[in-house]
Amino acid sequence: MIDQLRQTCRRLLDEKRVDVVIGYGEGPVGGAAIPVFIRQAADADRLIWNNRCLANLTTYLKRPEVRALGRAAIVVKGCDARALVVLEKESQLAREQLYVIGMACDGMGDPTAAKCAACDAHVPAGCDEAIGQAAESAPDARYAELAAFMKRPPAERMAFWQNELSRCVKCYACRQVCPLCYCERCIVDKNRPTVIDTASTLKGNFAWAITRAFHLAGRCVGCDECTRACPAGIDLRLLNLSLARAAEESFDYRAGVDPAAEPIIGAYARQDEENFIR
Amino acid sequence: MTEQTFEPKIVAFVCNWCTYLGADLAGTNRLEYPANVRIIRLPCTGRIDFNLIIKAFETGADAVLVSGCHPGDCHYTAGNFHARRRWILFRSLLDTLGVDLDRIHFTWISAAEGRKFQQVITEITEATRAKGPYTDYRKIAEASAS
Amino acid sequence: MSEIITAQALRALVGEWLAKGRPVAGPSRVKPGLVAYAAIAKSDDLILDGFVHPSNSIKEFFFPRCERLYGYRIEGRKIELTDPPAPDTEQIILGARPCDAAALPILDRLFNWDSRDDFYNRRRAATTVVTLACATHDQACFCTSVGLAPDATEGADAILVPAGERRYEVRALTDKGRALFAGRTESATDAGRACDGPPVRFDAGRVREFLSANFESPVWAELTMRCLGCGSCAYVCPTCHCFDIEDEGARAESATTSAGVRVKNWDSCQFRMFTQHASGHNPRANQAQRQRQRLMHKFRVYPERFGAILCTGCGNCTRACPVSLGVAGVLEGLK
Repeated sequence: MIDQLRQTCRRLLDEKRVDVVIGYGEGPVGGAAIPVFIRQAADADRLIWNNRCLANLTTYLKRPEVRALGRAAIVVKGCDARALVVLEKESQLAREQLYVIGMACDGMGDPTAAKCAACDAHVPAGCDEAIGQAAESAPDARYAELAAFMKRPPAERMAFWQNELSRCVKCYACRQVCPLCYCERCIVDKNRPTVIDTASTLKGNFAWAITRAFHLAGRCVGCDECTRACPAGIDLRLLNLSLARAAEESFDYRAGVDPAAEPIIGAYARQDEENFIR
Repeated sequence: MTEQTFEPKIVAFVCNWCTYLGADLAGTNRLEYPANVRIIRLPCTGRIDFNLIIKAFETGADAVLVSGCHPGDCHYTAGNFHARRRWILFRSLLDTLGVDLDRIHFTWISAAEGRKFQQVITEITEATRAKGPYTDYRKIAEASAS
Repeated sequence: MSEIITAQALRALVGEWLAKGRPVAGPSRVKPGLVAYAAIAKSDDLILDGFVHPSNSIKEFFFPRCERLYGYRIEGRKIELTDPPAPDTEQIILGARPCDAAALPILDRLFNWDSRDDFYNRRRAATTVVTLACATHDQACFCTSVGLAPDATEGADAILVPAGERRYEVRALTDKGRALFAGRTESATDAGRACDGPPVRFDAGRVREFLSANFESPVWAELTMRCLGCGSCAYVCPTCHCFDIEDEGARAESATTSAGVRVKNWDSCQFRMFTQHASGHNPRANQAQRQRQRLMHKFRVYPERFGAILCTGCGNCTRACPVSLGVAGVLEGLK
């Protein structure tokens, strides 16, 4: 697979079809692969592909520094590719300007990441070029972790989150890493009025976690980069899963799967459920 | 203040064109409802940011009511449809966090439903009185820098 | 001759401190797979081996991530200020890495520079720091490149050096350190030994020369293109100390009365908003400029102004970074 990827990279750059190929390169020994920005065909050999390619490179499409490099080709896994669908739906990228190289993937990380156990996108959809083949997806119940968590009584859940979120330091790594967090002025950076306390108190941390999770409702594609990036080890994945499940159960919607589906926030249906409304 | 005299604080976010007028109608018809409710008027339920609900709990609300026009009757045509969709999702998030969903109420109350407003406020007040103060969120709110 | 304490005796000692109500903090398993410095509730919570470096640093015990400066209450035109509660009269940090303790004398210079930061100084005076020399290092460590070592003693009141299975040599370095372990050790003839330091990765002097000569250079953009501008590196760093001051929690108690607090929160030069001016201009508008400033501050400006490198080579920045950037990676790339 890696030879084909490097060949594609050389070809795209030689033919001047793109100005930069965004892919994975060798990181520190034993660590995750790092994002690399290949601009000369001669550097194509820096590209790698292994089970440490955890990062979701689509997040770089929001960065002005990367946009300034010009037309891009991007290496994506199945989970990453879903972010491209959402970004296009939200008019954040011109899909025809992007050359998408999809890599078949059997799971990342050692031990394999939690999201991989429930993955049904081993081969990315909607790519300009697909490389490799993967075993047919036979995912575990997608929301098994969440279901197990929800069996705990509410008071226990609240205690869990009070403990988890007490460690938040408001570094905003979760926001920076997320491809869908692209607001030029994030709500947490606003102070006239201050909607979310910036201090890393429990109040400020809860407000931030709730706000970010909800602003991603129906948009989060479950790449779990936020959870991986969090220096305090907070289980943000659970929050995102709960909204993803609500979107699926209530609106039969999964972010980034069907390019033609209408996003759920911003749309409505006359027959949306009402059983909790008096 | 003893248990028997616990007076719950209810915060009601209501839309200007339906529920607020419904509350007004309750008033002009002299339908008594508990003074525990603090009414906050907004143009439309569609304007309600979920952060307002969180802030209500942060500042000491024991229960929150969100109420607007019936679907199809929104003064701005579709504001309450958008709100309803958000509420469906927001409730799941709150449930995952372990927030007591029985303390957040949603209703459609029209400008003609003064009696419904009276009934809803009375029931919510009594139900919340029975549940007691909402201490979980108070702990979070009090852990602020202030 | 050396003074030895067994792991068992050490834990018993910690238990005694806790029983007497003396706050103790150290490495602990805050959740499966995550070791961080945290307040210890019981002696068994303390983790003394099986990890290289906790995910955070001890600076939060001196420079909290959010600190109340004062409370205020405005009634009409009358303003009333209230002082924050006094910090604990003492705290003990046990098991800190030498690279974390070494940050303290470096930070002392800044927090006592043009004005004295008593919030910091009070905590410094009240704290006894006992470090644990390293038995191992990983690929992210680079203390030897900034003049430190796995058994460095800067900033510590006492250092515990591994001396065989579950035994530590206690080297008391200050009166506070001596007081803590007085009568609790046994003499022995063997001495503790830390691991060898990591191989030196760069020459700090040459780095400083490069930084002085290469403010404008395409190398900054090249090396830092993958930086996402999160604050992880600054927040887990033992020496980063930038902060933001905010007024918070303004509660309207009536039409004429409101109350709130002024808080000091951690901030990071990697945030775009860090240098955003009210006019809309931003002198560090792109990430390359922000990363350049980070390296400049740590390896040129702070040494010039305070005579110390603003980095202890702990490697936390690389470990925490979602794209494995970190200071050492950039500096190595500067060659």
